[in-house]
Formats: sequence, structure tokens, C-alpha cells
Amino acid sequence: MSRRYDSRTTIFSPEGRLYQVEYAMEAISNAGASMGMLAKDGVVLVAEKKITSKLLDSKAVGVRKEKMYKLDDHIACSVAGITADANILINICRLAAQRYYFAYQEPIPVEQLVQSVCDTKQGYTQFGGQRPFGVSILYAGWDEHYGFQLYQSDPSGNYGGWKAAAIGAGHAAATNLLKTDYKDDITLAEAVPLLVRVLSKAMDTSLAVDKVEIATLSKDPATGKVIYKQYEAPEITPLIEAANADKAAAASS
Amino acid sequence: MSIFEYNGSAIVAMAGKNCVAVASDLRFGVQLQTITTDCPKVYPIHEKLYLGLSGLKTDAQTLHEKLVFRHNLYKLREERNMKPTTFGHLVSAVLYERRFGPYFCSPVIAGLEDDGTPYLCGMDSIGAMETAKDFMVAGTAPESLYGMCESMWKPDMDADTLFETVAQCLLSGVDRDALAGWGAVVHLITPDKVVSRTLKGRMD
Repeated sequence: MSRRYDSRTTIFSPEGRLYQVEYAMEAISNAGASMGMLAKDGVVLVAEKKITSKLLDSKAVGVRKEKMYKLDDHIACSVAGITADANILINICRLAAQRYYFAYQEPIPVEQLVQSVCDTKQGYTQFGGQRPFGVSILYAGWDEHYGFQLYQSDPSGNYGGWKAAAIGAGHAAATNLLKTDYKDDITLAEAVPLLVRVLSKAMDTSLAVDKVEIATLSKDPATGKVIYKQYEAPEITPLIEAANADKAAAASS
Repeated sequence: MSIFEYNGSAIVAMAGKNCVAVASDLRFGVQLQTITTDCPKVYPIHEKLYLGLSGLKTDAQTLHEKLVFRHNLYKLREERNMKPTTFGHLVSAVLYERRFGPYFCSPVIAGLEDDGTPYLCGMDSIGAMETAKDFMVAGTAPESLYGMCESMWKPDMDADTLFETVAQCLLSGVDRDALAGWGAVVHLITPDKVVSRTLKGRMD
């Protein structure tokens, strides 16, 4: 009987659920995994690419990365879900950040950016008759008010600040692993290999260089500027080899 | 007094051999009252591209902020800086959008293309663009500046000669203008670095 209600996206079901939002979250749990971890001196984002093919032009601008995107000089994100929906939201984020900078001549505080995008996402669950965005996003950023931060948002427009978070396929398993492995005063140098290991354990297949994206947000000790770094293949390889070896050792013991 | 002469400014840009220099005066005034003497009119867009904006200061500030907005988005999408020619056309388009309520500014754009060739262009307040191989001037003392540049400019000057030439042209050009002067800042752009120098001229 409640089937009659979920043909309209912005309507409650008799049990008080928003089915379209829940279906969107279902779509995301089948998409490529994304994880993030907050460290004392930075934030690391790790993601599994779903689209891998020899025919992909790895040098084409704007499509070289499937999961990680820079939103402003001090904020980056990793997405999970419908890539086309993600592109729209990423553009919205970038515009919001620039509009804030234009008005106030200072970089947008991370939470304000997350809030403004989430307000947009929420609008699609309440009016317009359009379906929600099928994307969850992990935001990694630094601002002078709260330092390094990690946020997660989902199709409902809800968001939270996290020390470590996982979205996409295997996120429940990954979250459990993160709960046990995370330490409050972890450094970026320790967090990167740890997060790669968690990714490999949560995935059923073993990691390969062209299936993983890794990015970190940190501060240059000399200039104090925030640096967004996307790892290239030579830096990714040793990390996934270590993670795969770890996983094999754990499986055989 | 015209709205373009409300604040007062003087900008000179010149091309040398694989280098450009762009300079402006430092006076900020309201009609005949000088308010501060530390106000440059040349803004960096990226390492190899500088934008000089003469005219009404409030419009110059807003225009600059708008163009930074556009350039930041461009950088995120294209993953590279904007080429000077592209930027010139962007400024022209942004100005023409306000054809019937314009920004009271005359921009001067100076930069180096990817291969090191100098790029200079200037436009009026509604975006009519002209590129130049030698120099570009703007502000409240254009006649004096044109005169100085026309006599001093030579092709293929090296970085140090170019700096001297631009500095002298600007400092002498503003002497007969009450609304521009009080020192100068010169940016010398070469393929590997930008050197910025602040000069003291006649402080009147």
C-alpha cells in the first residue's frame, strides 16, 4: 500500500519515511567506496575507483580523477554515488566557495560550505518534485577557526563532523574497522597507510594502482599555506602493496 | 570633474624581450584631497599575469574581485591558470555585460604567454580591446605617459633596461598630473620570477 506514495519524491510514507531519500542511499551503498580520516596535521581521503579501463584517457582534463575533487584552495572532497549527480554538486560547492570569497574576501569556513550544499540537497527532498541527489560526499578542509576538519553529507541533506568516516560499498565494515584502529592523536603520516589498509580490508578484491585514488590536505610548514595533494601512481604503489600484504597475512593466519 | 578622474591613477605596461613590466602610481585621493600614498592599482591574477585598473577605485576593487572569482573557478575546472589572451577577452566580456551602466575603469592587462612571449592589452570602460606590442597606458595622465613611452620605448629590451624605462616613464609622466603620483610600484615579470619594486618619486 505504501507503494502508492513513493512515486512522488517529496512526500512522506504512512510510516513517516522518505522513500526516495532511502533509495538514494541504497544506490550509494553499491557505489565505489570512499573513506576519510582526520589527523592532527591533516586530513586523508582514500577512494576506490569503479570505472577502470585501458581505454580511459588518463590525461583528459577534469575526468582524470573519478572520486576526488578540489573545491577551493583549502577544501577538497571525495564522492560516492552517481557520478553525474556528483559533478553538479561539486560545481555548486565551488560556486558557493567563490561567492563567499567575493563577498567577504576570506576563504569560506569548511562547515559553512558543507551547510550550504546540504541546504541545497535538502531542498530536493522537500519541494520541486525532483529526485534527490544520489551522492554522499566526504569534505576535507582547513580553516583558521577550527583547523583541519572532516565532514560527511548524504542525500537527505544531513551532515556530521567526523574523525573518520566511510561511504559507499563496504562502509559498514570499514566504519567498524575505523572504530578500533583510529587513535585521537594520529599523524597524517600514520593515517595514510592506515586508511589504505582499512580500504583494502573492506574491499573483497585486492587493491590495484589504477583502482585507488588517494589525496591529502595538509599545511606547508614553511609558508603556512594549505596544500591539496593527489597521489600519483609511484606513491600509491608502495601503500597498496603494504596493505595487500597485510590482508594476505591476516587471511592466512 | 569626470568620474574617471575622481580618484586619480597612472598605469604603464611595457613589453621587453621575453619579459613585461607593469607599473602604477600609489596615490589614492578623493578629487583634490590625497588620502593615502600606499595604494597600488596593479593586481596579480597569477604569476605571469597582472591586471592594472585605472579609474574609479570602488569599481576597480569590485571588478578585480569579480575577475578573481572567475579565475578561481576556471582554475578548478581547467586545472591550469588562464592564459593572458583568454583573460583579456574575459575582462572585455565582463565589462560589456554592463554596457549601459559601466564600471568606470580602464584595464591594462600584462602577462607572459606559456612560451614566454609578452602579452599586453588595454581596453576602455566598456570592453573595447586593443593589444599592443610595445606599451599600454591608462589613467588620468595618458597624454604625458604616451609621450614618455613613445620616446623611450625600444624593442627587445632586457629585464633591467625595461625596468628602468618603465620606471622613468611613469615617474616623469605623472609629474604634470595633480591626481597621480606619490611614488610608484613596478612589477617586472620574467618566465622564472616576478620582481616588484616600490619607488619614491616626487611626493606631490
